[in-house]
Amino acid sequence: MNHQLLHIFRNSPLGRETLLQSIYFSKQVEVSPVIYIPKSTKFLMYFENDVVQIDLDNSYLMYPDTALEHATELLEQAGIEPRFLDPKHYTASTLPDIHTNFSYMSCPRSISDLSSKIGLGYIGGRVRRIVKSAKFPVLITSPVYKEWESIAVFFGGSVNAFNALKLGFRLCRISGMPLDVFTLIQNNSQESYEKLIADKGLETEMSRYVNNWHFLKNRTLEENLYDVPHNALVVLGAYGHHPLKTFVFGSKMEKIQSTISNNLLIVGPNYTAAI
Amino acid sequence: MRIFQSWRYPANWKIFRLDDRLLLILVAIIVGNCSGLASVILNRALMAMFNWFHHLRHYWWVFVLPATGAALSSLFLEKIVKEGAGHGVPEVIYSVSRYGGLLRFRSSFSRLISSALTIGSGGSAGPEAPVVISGAAIGSNIAKYFSLNDRQRVTLVGCGAAGAISSIFNAPIAGMVFAIEVIIGEWKSVHIVPIAIASVAGTEISRILQGNQIPFSHRLFNIHQMDILACVGLAILTAAASILLTRLLRSMDKIAKKVPAPLWIRAAIGGCAVGLIGLFLPEVLGKGYHVVQTTIEGAFSQGLIIVGLATIAKIVATALTLGWGGSGGIFAPCLVIGCLAGLTYHHALVLLWPSVTWVNQGCFALLGMAGLISGMLQAPLTGIFLIVEITGGYEVILPLIIVSAITTSVCHYMEPAAYYMKDLVDYGHLLRPGTDERVLSDLNVSELIEKDCIAVTQNMLLRDFIKIVKKSHRNYFPVEDEETGHFMGIIHLDDIRQYLFNPVMYDTVFLGQIMNTRVEVVNPDDDLADVIRKMDANYLFSMPVVVNNRFIGLISKGSLLDQYRKELMVQTCQSI
Repeated sequence: MNHQLLHIFRNSPLGRETLLQSIYFSKQVEVSPVIYIPKSTKFLMYFENDVVQIDLDNSYLMYPDTALEHATELLEQAGIEPRFLDPKHYTASTLPDIHTNFSYMSCPRSISDLSSKIGLGYIGGRVRRIVKSAKFPVLITSPVYKEWESIAVFFGGSVNAFNALKLGFRLCRISGMPLDVFTLIQNNSQESYEKLIADKGLETEMSRYVNNWHFLKNRTLEENLYDVPHNALVVLGAYGHHPLKTFVFGSKMEKIQSTISNNLLIVGPNYTAAI
Repeated sequence: MRIFQSWRYPANWKIFRLDDRLLLILVAIIVGNCSGLASVILNRALMAMFNWFHHLRHYWWVFVLPATGAALSSLFLEKIVKEGAGHGVPEVIYSVSRYGGLLRFRSSFSRLISSALTIGSGGSAGPEAPVVISGAAIGSNIAKYFSLNDRQRVTLVGCGAAGAISSIFNAPIAGMVFAIEVIIGEWKSVHIVPIAIASVAGTEISRILQGNQIPFSHRLFNIHQMDILACVGLAILTAAASILLTRLLRSMDKIAKKVPAPLWIRAAIGGCAVGLIGLFLPEVLGKGYHVVQTTIEGAFSQGLIIVGLATIAKIVATALTLGWGGSGGIFAPCLVIGCLAGLTYHHALVLLWPSVTWVNQGCFALLGMAGLISGMLQAPLTGIFLIVEITGGYEVILPLIIVSAITTSVCHYMEPAAYYMKDLVDYGHLLRPGTDERVLSDLNVSELIEKDCIAVTQNMLLRDFIKIVKKSHRNYFPVEDEETGHFMGIIHLDDIRQYLFNPVMYDTVFLGQIMNTRVEVVNPDDDLADVIRKMDANYLFSMPVVVNNRFIGLISKGSLLDQYRKELMVQTCQSI
């Protein structure tokens, strides 16, 4: 079990909920959570072609004396050996570098702005940069701890959607949870999506892992989202679309994340999935 | 839509995909222009601020001006752009060393604004280092836009630094030499050509917008052998001044950090102290280039004591400004301190040997400047070319070389790391290409793990183990707990040879009895350099990698050597 999930710990009730989500996810998909307890309000993440400075709000530095104790307690209660990340390199004396060789990263909807923005409809700018640059999927947790019992993949036919689908297969294989696929029928027919799957040679995996492939036929995406189980981990691709289209009409990811409160696992453009 | 998309992904443009070197040269022109423009903007901002505040200089309360500027600068960096204080050059070198020159976009403008506030209000600092980080960040972000690889990005970071220095001093060769000698640390044609072009672009932008002027023009010097001989003494004096400035800057930083106050208040305290010094010796305020110009022209009329005091005051003022949290660089202070040190030395020579016909004081001022730059940066070529270009004084090249070489050597002896590199060296972050540390830093334990080991259990009989040994080509066998799968120890064939050749033992010995349980293990997150140190200290050839009590694989010196060679070839090849 060498796959790791990076979790930035916030020593607050909200941070506890987020850590519980990370622990649950880690246990289901067999990864080791690695906890970073920040000592300053900023750190850098160097990706392959980008460097992202994460500016945390002060709530991440609250009660440093008990932070380690609280995080350890939650991990031990879950039967996980606590592993903490201690930055080895510093770009400046108060600016640690956090390496990016992780399999997953867990983020609340916003890690660098006011806690009041954790609600639906808002994903912070830094979290977006991480999703866009990272080679790992980002787990965006729901505000309150909730165990998910199935996996729902949104598949629209783009390159990132295929990556999300493959990740869904992988999670299904490891966790043994039922997997549902959701596709919004827009201009294309149901057959055209099935052909896409066939062209990519994923028919066997579809029949092996997928419980139900739902073709959503209501006019708007939001209207269809009620069909997504409330206790499902939603896996979806991001940034697999035209930028102008996003600017004018908004992206599917935006609509989904602003409508449902499930845990989201977002696959960015640099992630390459293996089943 | 397609047109829009093609603009979004310029790396796909056919023109840039023709040849990587051509691509780099074309992008270097863009980077050189942008960084040159950044320098011009800062220069203009400083001139404007000088004009705004100049009429306030005769008021007694003017000492609060540098304090206000330093505090605002610190607040801007800390609260608005959320960057650390300081000039940022070590950050550029660190990024080049460890992360292929990745720099944040905000660095392309943050230091311009903060240093304008610090220097424009009278703080004793220079605008050159801030334009270096701005130029470097511009280069890095343009490389990101064009989706260039690490080596190309590093070259463009150098292009940005070169364009900025070339523009601010109107000195293309010095800009080029500085970028290669200090920032990149690697003299290769793949870097030199784009950096040279960026230097030209930066200089041209400066000349178009500000005119083609040499910063410190002077008359001809008539240099004799006695003057060249005297250069040795001047080199020792400038080396002493460099070491004093380096140590004072660091001690001020340490003292300031002990003050239990926010950073902006500390910066204000430093600025206030500089303002107070400036009440008595206004030469210490701001960039101080007017002092340099006056001295080179031979018009600085103060005597030995005053000039000596001014030299020390400028050193203290610079340490107070930068050490207490102000933003700015050390280039300009070095030029002023070097100039004053040269003048002090000239006055002392005239006093001691009045019968000797010494060259004009301006010449010693030039040599002092080169000495300080070479001493602080420990980059003699940068010092030599910078002074030649900014003064147009090619006739002083011989004493310049002597002073730069001796100062660099003395400073290197006393302070093995240059001012820009000191923190990096202390923390082991200075990783020049092709060095052992750099090769190891680019490899990690995870990519060296050999996973083709066969795990055995502690309750396995030796006879069964021998069957496994026959199938395996490895000498190491991890022992795992049957129930939990936890790593228990390791069996190395060399250690159990006595049992292997004794058939009596085959059905009587369990692996749990002969395994080595006191084995050093490696974690995938460990630094490779530490792992090798551990191997060397314990005379080990392989070590098990263990995570959460589970055996992941082996790391061996054999696989390390393979990867080491490959990485070394990548780092030292001439291609981009």
